[in-house]
Amino acid sequence: MSFKQWSAVIMLAVAALVGAWVVYDGLTGGAAGPASAVAARLLWAGLVMIGLNLAAVIGAAIVAAIVTRKEFHDEAADERDRAIYARSMRNAYFAVSVGGIVTLFLVAFGYDASVAVYAIFLGGTLAGAVGALSQLVYYRIG
Amino acid sequence: MGKGKPQIVNTIRTLRFHAGEMTQAALAEKVGVTRQTIVAIEQGRYSPSLEVAFRIAEVFGRPLTDVFQYQAEGA
Repeated sequence: MSFKQWSAVIMLAVAALVGAWVVYDGLTGGAAGPASAVAARLLWAGLVMIGLNLAAVIGAAIVAAIVTRKEFHDEAADERDRAIYARSMRNAYFAVSVGGIVTLFLVAFGYDASVAVYAIFLGGTLAGAVGALSQLVYYRIG
Repeated sequence: MGKGKPQIVNTIRTLRFHAGEMTQAALAEKVGVTRQTIVAIEQGRYSPSLEVAFRIAEVFGRPLTDVFQYQAEGA
């Protein structure tokens, strides 16, 4: 697998991990607090997500370089990479749009603003996961 | 990048063989794409842009139609 595919695998794993934590947090009373507290907590979760992604990509590059005894780095994107990225982003955009619509429905039907904050965050996380998964699928099929 | 059975076939593998068993990495380097893209083109999983198709043909010194052939559906 290329560096780009490994990056997508890592992004997918981190999105699944953080998404699972957010769902757990929301179901175990996290949504009970004020919306500002929930938003602040999820902002930290977003920062952790970015940090985990960076650390995992760097760690994977180091481990791969040691195991294969070759430099493992990202290559410049060519036309196929750009086409796959564009199609994956289209799928991610669809996921984030669904997240936005679900959030609007939750607010419209009287759910607490804290729940809406969770929905927005999960929509973004889901979009990241869909984008990464789409990349992996498109790299396999064409 | 298409759906279903690929309609554009190519002879890149044969041409690489006749070019002194040129590696996919070497071809990728000459064409200016990644090795994964050459693999995908060879396997018919990805149809390149016209520009990349012409560059591949140029590497082998052949006309485009010697490298890529279009197979009409049902043909």
